[in-house]
Amino acid sequence: MVYLGAAPGVGKTYRMLQDAARRQGEGTDVVVGIAETHGRSETAALLEPLEVLPRRIITHQGHRLDEFDLDAALARKPQLICVDELAHTNAPGSRHPKRWQDVEELLGAGIDVATTVNIQHIESLNDVVAGFTYVRVRETIPDRVLEDAELIVVDLPPDALIERLKAGKVYLPQTAGEALSNFFTPTKLAALRELALRFAAGSVDRRLDDELATGAVRADYVVGERLMVAVSAGKGGARVIREAKRLADLMRAPWSAVVVEGSSARAAVGAQREQLAENLALASSLGASLMTIAATDVAGALVDQARELRASQIVIGKSRRSRWFEWRHGSIAAAVTRKARGVSVHIVPLDEADEKPPTPPDPYAQRDNLIAFALVAAAVGAIHLIEGMISHSAIDLLLLLPVILSATLLRMRAGLWSALWAALSYNFFFTQPRHTFRIESAGDVITFVTLALVAGVVGGLAGQVRRQAQTSAGVARLNASLARYAGLLGGLSDREETAKVACQEIGSLLDVEAIIVAHEADRLVVRGNENFTALDMVDETAARWALENGAVSGRDTGTLNASDWQFHPLQTSLGIMGALGLARPSQGRVVRADDATLLASLIDQTALAHERLVLEEEARQVGTLRERDRLRGALLGSIAHDLRTPLTAVIAATETIPAEGDFGAEIAIARAEARRLQRFLNDLLEASRIEHGAIAPRLEIIDLTDIAAAVLKDLQQTGPDARAKLEIDEACPLVRSDPVLLRHALINLIDNALKFSDQGSEVIIRIEAGENQVSCRVLDHGPGLPPDIAGLFERFERLEGSDRVGGTGLGLWIAKNFIDALGGSIEARNRAGGGAEFAINLPLEHSDLRVGEQLSDA
Amino acid sequence: MRSEILIVDDEPAIRRLLTGALDRAGLTHTEAATAGEALRAAQAMPAPLVALLDLGLPDRDGLEVIGQLSGLGLSVIVLTARDATDEKVAALDLGADDFVTKPFDSEELLARVRSALRRKNSPSLDPARRDFAGGWIDRDSHVVMIASERVDLTPREFNLLWTLADKPGRVITHDRLLEQVWGPAHREDLDYLRVAVRSLRRKLEQDPSHPRLVINEPGVGYRIAARE
Repeated sequence: MVYLGAAPGVGKTYRMLQDAARRQGEGTDVVVGIAETHGRSETAALLEPLEVLPRRIITHQGHRLDEFDLDAALARKPQLICVDELAHTNAPGSRHPKRWQDVEELLGAGIDVATTVNIQHIESLNDVVAGFTYVRVRETIPDRVLEDAELIVVDLPPDALIERLKAGKVYLPQTAGEALSNFFTPTKLAALRELALRFAAGSVDRRLDDELATGAVRADYVVGERLMVAVSAGKGGARVIREAKRLADLMRAPWSAVVVEGSSARAAVGAQREQLAENLALASSLGASLMTIAATDVAGALVDQARELRASQIVIGKSRRSRWFEWRHGSIAAAVTRKARGVSVHIVPLDEADEKPPTPPDPYAQRDNLIAFALVAAAVGAIHLIEGMISHSAIDLLLLLPVILSATLLRMRAGLWSALWAALSYNFFFTQPRHTFRIESAGDVITFVTLALVAGVVGGLAGQVRRQAQTSAGVARLNASLARYAGLLGGLSDREETAKVACQEIGSLLDVEAIIVAHEADRLVVRGNENFTALDMVDETAARWALENGAVSGRDTGTLNASDWQFHPLQTSLGIMGALGLARPSQGRVVRADDATLLASLIDQTALAHERLVLEEEARQVGTLRERDRLRGALLGSIAHDLRTPLTAVIAATETIPAEGDFGAEIAIARAEARRLQRFLNDLLEASRIEHGAIAPRLEIIDLTDIAAAVLKDLQQTGPDARAKLEIDEACPLVRSDPVLLRHALINLIDNALKFSDQGSEVIIRIEAGENQVSCRVLDHGPGLPPDIAGLFERFERLEGSDRVGGTGLGLWIAKNFIDALGGSIEARNRAGGGAEFAINLPLEHSDLRVGEQLSDA
Repeated sequence: MRSEILIVDDEPAIRRLLTGALDRAGLTHTEAATAGEALRAAQAMPAPLVALLDLGLPDRDGLEVIGQLSGLGLSVIVLTARDATDEKVAALDLGADDFVTKPFDSEELLARVRSALRRKNSPSLDPARRDFAGGWIDRDSHVVMIASERVDLTPREFNLLWTLADKPGRVITHDRLLEQVWGPAHREDLDYLRVAVRSLRRKLEQDPSHPRLVINEPGVGYRIAARE
């Protein structure tokens, strides 16, 4: 819930707290995370009934700052939390630099948030607001934060607001007094108010459409509309991006930000690179997908990319420059407009000031010019020496030589200069009258012009070829290093080595320090770089955050950027394998904008390598486990067999002796215990069969009467205490099942029932046919099941109160496994009149003929 | 003196138990710990009448011995585990007379032994009449009497009862019954057998849902209770 206001003082906080109090009255668990009352008693009074979280005190450079305590809020976990001033910038050292990030984390934790914001803090409206108020706020929040929020506009007519201002009811920071009072003019407030209302209306519209759009949740983009924005390195790029975001929102279209590298690769250094990176970060934060392409022909590349993205709209900036400048350098916007077919091109006019800062002087340009000059001079000298031996027409050809050399080997400009010098030298030295710049013969004029033209064209072409080669060499280098990287990691089979190689390679490719951190046994392990084997508190917190949240954290990011390291999570289908930490000893961004693509690929490769390691490890472990299991099974089998034989003798012996006379009781005990031991042994054997997946049902048509009779006979053997009564539906249909498994399962259920029954009480076996299934129910008169029977059919599970009766705890588990293998189900519940009921339900196949139908032709 | 029973088991404890039970029942016996000893004892004259055979022998697979022992004129009762239905069926198919599941009840064991001896010693005088618990069947006159009352059976039911009663107390495998009563083509049609047994029980048993006459060995076959 976001309370949106046009300006400070409209009463957002008041309204938010009012609503919070109402919600609390309705039974919602409400907590006030932070609320600025600005000393106003009405607002403070509203806080009275509400639980307010204590603020976190941070001391920064001697100042005491109190901040919203995110961790306390997360720990408290209310249903709704009020967090005032969404656009607030947190004190240095907080987890997130911005409060809206705190709010995102709260939302992520499943806590509803009520917050307040003024219209001028919304990123995409920032320029618009600054345009007519002349006040630019630095604290902005990305639009996407508000995208899913329910907006509540707190509206106050401008006059009323000014009224309040005059009455001193609006809090204004002292420092901004002058600027802000210029802000509160009726016209400006009216404009702000309109903006706020329009923004809210747009949001409501979008929601409505979303709901109408066939209930699809997010696949609600206008069909075919897709927007692409060309990002430049200039300051104006940000404006173009914001404009594109607004358009994309209006069209409700997905959008991409594209950077073309290559043409300006040489120029994009230093400050420009930083600016480009910032522009890209802005686009990303506004929800654009980013891509970088390498090409020399910027306009062509943009149009191609638009086609590839199936973009229907291109947004591009165009600076206001002189016609002359445009004629000389061409305008990318104009070229895109010319080339784009079936695509709308939006041009955002930019001020000159917005454009690129002056290109820093190229230190090598001067040198290249000198070399070009020297080459031409040498050629002139050489021709002079051999002039007598060659025909006059060869001179101009020879003069082309230094031009071509300069054009291919040096900068384009040097090539063009050398063309000029060559033409002038030809004129000066080799045409009549010599040593003047006058030309008398028409043929010489033509030669001169041709020479100049040829030199210019060759120079231009050569330069272009060279640049293209450089660009594609760059791409090839990138691919080669990726391939090499993947190859290197592919050969490794332990984590230490993988981390070491990964960090070395990434370090040298990106010119950074790299480490890999991972969670292992509750500890953070740092690997891959001998110089860094441990992290300090701040870095560790950032690393943990990246590992837990699967997002980039640390330096240059929006989260915990006090850290020296930037952490990228290594995400795989198996989860987060660790995080790659990057640091650069020098100032500036850790990852340069043009390295972002390479880094993404490197991270993917590293994550893949880690995933492979884990899978290999698991495969090894499974192998060992399987072997161990096999051994255990074999051991169990042989032990059980060896135990069985003597036990058979014991049972037969004890049952031969009549349990009467002086030692009658003892003999009865020996008999019962021997039988119990035998049951345990059988249970163990069956359990080991189940664990080995050795349950292979042999289905045949069976008559449950036969199974029941066999079970009753087994019970007779168990002893005279085992009293069971069989109730069977005479017309019970035949079923297809495994008689051995079914009999076993039934005996286990009966055993269990007998265990919990009082001496002499009877267990009932009731077999009855339903529409689609036959049920074998075992009913007892015991104490019944405890309330919590989850895990009743688990191995070694003994429910409350069952300790006294003993048993392996395997009986029900075995029964369940057998019945599962038979495609039936087993269930347990308490009987209405006391005692428990266990039921085995066996499905009736369509082909299982009813007995009644068959008897006729028997 | 002629030993009536041959005990074949490699476990001395089990042998002692069996000898004890047989002694109390007044039956004479010979012991063998291996298949080799068992065959030598069976070939000695006079040969024993019934063999109690454990299948887990040290020198040979017990199943192999069944054929040889029954070939030498012994009735073979196999000692086997309860759930080993395959083993039981195989033993019966190879000519075993009966089986007793371990751990055995000595009373039941003795009952089986006596029943086997009876089949051996006193073959029915009338080749067309067979007695069973509580009644008899005559093949020639097509008469079935239960508790001195005549029971009407369909020809198939009569055939089934005859096949079972021909060897009273002995388990006849499902396959065998189907083959004998319905023909070799119907070996797999176990549902025929189940249905026929049900209708037979309705006519013969006091309480068809608690059968005491036509008894099923799950997964193996049926037997008809012998007259004690």
